[in-house]
Amino acid sequence: MVRELKFLAALWKINIASAMEYRIAFLSQSIGMILNDGVYFLVWIIFFDRFNNIRGWQLTDMFLVFGVSAGAFGLAGMLFGNTFNLGDIIINGRLDYYLSLPRPTLLHVLASRTVPSGFGDFLYGFISYFASGQFSFGGLGRFVLALLLATIVFVSFLVIIQSLAFWLGTGGTLTGIAINAMITFALYPITLFNNAAKLILFLIIPAAFMGAVPAGFVRGFSWYLLGQMTLASFSFLALAVFLFHLGLRRYESGSAIQVEV
Amino acid sequence: MPAILVSNLSKTFRTKHKAAGLGASLHSLISPQYSNVEAVRGLTFEMESGELLGFIGPNGAGKSTTIKILTGILFPNDGEVHVLGYIPWKQRRQLAYHIGTVFGQRPQLWYHLPAIDTFILFGKIYELDDRAVKQRISYLSEAFEIVDLLETPVRKLSLGQRMRCEVAASLLHKPKLLLLDEPSIGLDVVAKQHIRDAIREMALRENVGVLLTSHDAGDLEALCKRVIVINHGQIVYQDKVSVLKRSFLNSKLVEVRYAQPISPNFHVAGTETLKVSKDLYAIKLRFDPLQTPVENVMAHLSAAGTLLDITVSDPPLEEVIAKIYETTI
Amino acid sequence: MKKYLAIFKINLLNSLAYPAEIATRSGMILVFMFVFFQLWYVTYTASGLQVLNGLTLRDTMWYLLLAETLELGRPRLARVISQQVKDGSIAYLLDKPYDFMLYQLGIGLGESLPRMGILFIIGGILVWALAGAPPDLQNWPLAFLAFSGAWLLHFCVNGLIGLAAFVAEEVAPFEWIYQKLVFILGGLLIPLDFYPAWLQTLSKFLPFAYMMYGPARLFVRQDIQLFIQIIIGQLFWLALLGGLLALTFARGMRRLAINGG
Repeated sequence: MVRELKFLAALWKINIASAMEYRIAFLSQSIGMILNDGVYFLVWIIFFDRFNNIRGWQLTDMFLVFGVSAGAFGLAGMLFGNTFNLGDIIINGRLDYYLSLPRPTLLHVLASRTVPSGFGDFLYGFISYFASGQFSFGGLGRFVLALLLATIVFVSFLVIIQSLAFWLGTGGTLTGIAINAMITFALYPITLFNNAAKLILFLIIPAAFMGAVPAGFVRGFSWYLLGQMTLASFSFLALAVFLFHLGLRRYESGSAIQVEV
Repeated sequence: MPAILVSNLSKTFRTKHKAAGLGASLHSLISPQYSNVEAVRGLTFEMESGELLGFIGPNGAGKSTTIKILTGILFPNDGEVHVLGYIPWKQRRQLAYHIGTVFGQRPQLWYHLPAIDTFILFGKIYELDDRAVKQRISYLSEAFEIVDLLETPVRKLSLGQRMRCEVAASLLHKPKLLLLDEPSIGLDVVAKQHIRDAIREMALRENVGVLLTSHDAGDLEALCKRVIVINHGQIVYQDKVSVLKRSFLNSKLVEVRYAQPISPNFHVAGTETLKVSKDLYAIKLRFDPLQTPVENVMAHLSAAGTLLDITVSDPPLEEVIAKIYETTI
Repeated sequence: MKKYLAIFKINLLNSLAYPAEIATRSGMILVFMFVFFQLWYVTYTASGLQVLNGLTLRDTMWYLLLAETLELGRPRLARVISQQVKDGSIAYLLDKPYDFMLYQLGIGLGESLPRMGILFIIGGILVWALAGAPPDLQNWPLAFLAFSGAWLLHFCVNGLIGLAAFVAEEVAPFEWIYQKLVFILGGLLIPLDFYPAWLQTLSKFLPFAYMMYGPARLFVRQDIQLFIQIIIGQLFWLALLGGLLALTFARGMRRLAINGG
């Protein structure tokens, strides 16, 4: 475990160094992302200016939801950047590189890239939280915890979706839709959805665990919410690891797509 | 104890057929069509530790598949494989600590950063002690003459320089076996020479076994003592390089230059005239020394005029190997 | 004229040959429409009113569908042109004996027409099921005119941004800013009717409302006066931006001739 952490630290260090090689692009992408998130939030400000609340959900809640979602999205991009193109890596046979090295494959793959704009999202997450008016030191602690758990759910979900590439041979389409769905649903008030839809948002496309539930936890500590988030994170993570390794067996049998004799 | 033991290795790929277009995609979903590709069939060979072994074969011969199985990335349908005492696909991670790989087509170095950053990362990947890594890096960079290149971003290096860094990186953890897949591809003649020398040096110094696959017969000639020729997934020939050249092709090439022009129909009995130069001063011919004694040919040639220059050589290894591809299976 | 038609046809057929692309976009519009519906259904129900700010729930949904269709379906011309400017291939294209802009127009139309058509149909099926039948047929012709005007305005702006590559390193920031301005001031995510008065007035003086709000609003509610306003606005901005485009293009060509590409 300790070895892996040391390895991860070295990997992240080299990632960041690589991203920082193009300082201007790095900065502009990060700032651009902050502004981007801000604009989407502006739309909500306009909406809540006209309509005071949506079944009890108010602008403050949106600050928190945006905070956790953007933060989780950003953290995933910074530390596990290959989450977004795992499907491509599988299809193009680029797993070979990671397989020939003595470190856990999934971890190695995911952590081998940094998405520069991820810093923007991550920072925006904190900005949004501070702007929510809900700030307190206890709250900050809950925010960080919620963010970590949300990141685990998000990354795991994407790994699950893209592991299908081992069998289907294509990834891009589904990945794009999956990310879009996750973000969209996460950023809309959970109170909008009826029970059937809620079931989907908790169990299948776990957007609830990226937005509403963590936001609720930041508002106020609750064992119930904490339990939910922890259970969700570890369940999705377990499924992701399992599915990936199942797919890896298939990859090693050579039946997955590219055949280079 | 041999470094590599392969016995009756077989690997068949089952691939789905799919034509382009929406209709074909749907059809393939409902009733998929498969075809079997036998990449490797009953392959058997051994490699001693510290040996320099070459693997040559045309595209689709099964080289890449064999290498992948040896590194544990692929598992076979049949046969036994032991690499450094490990079963590759079952003990891939343990094996990984003791082998190094260089794939000409797949770089390991981080593109935007100096090579040294990748070296340090590799140190962490292989769990090497920090100080030992530093010493190892300076040792390897001297050997591969990349000391001045270490701090330059890899994207700014020439291909030859990059390959030297790649090979150095693969030796960082003192592997017992080095697997090189097309290491000289795309390099110019000087760069090729450079890297071949460096690899050979290191291999001998550290007693690292080198398994090299290549299209380039020059790689084999320079680096390998023994060569395995593989085609259609099977071994068609394996022996020492020197033996290969000597026994397989029974011909000698002779190039002569005279002081006076010779007749355009110049011919020596028992030989095949390959080329007569336009100015009629030089001629190139080929003959089988087992059929036509060398002595006779030489005598004939010197009698034909005043010899200014003469070269007698073996056919290039390429020709030998091409011949091998043709004559078997 | 014939050659532009041929170019248009080729691009049309080309864009239909990529089912994955179509699937991704269709997936996106379905997700958006579903979530939008949840939001506005709850909002309308909570207000207890059938009509809010002059629009019914059904109106709002069809408004959003048209807006999203235009947004997701329009060609990313800026990227194409800027790439051609940057790698110099624009020089080869200008060699050809047809007007460069008309050429791009043909490509753009060929690409986006089927895309918008599919998006509208697929999204429309969902919206019909959720919110009710599409607007009266009598609205369609005028809306179509306004839609075409909007499409052309997008084309001009994109063209200008693309040509900015002659002077700027990266045009992506400009593209991004313009897109966000259309979001906010064009009423992509919320019809302008719901905006605070001052913001509505502001948007009347800028081109963005004519690029998005105009056609979408005319589609859902018959309003001759609004139509006239929109058309005049579109013509004004088309003249301005189109003229600017022609000028910039001529300048660019001169610059190329001097610098040799």
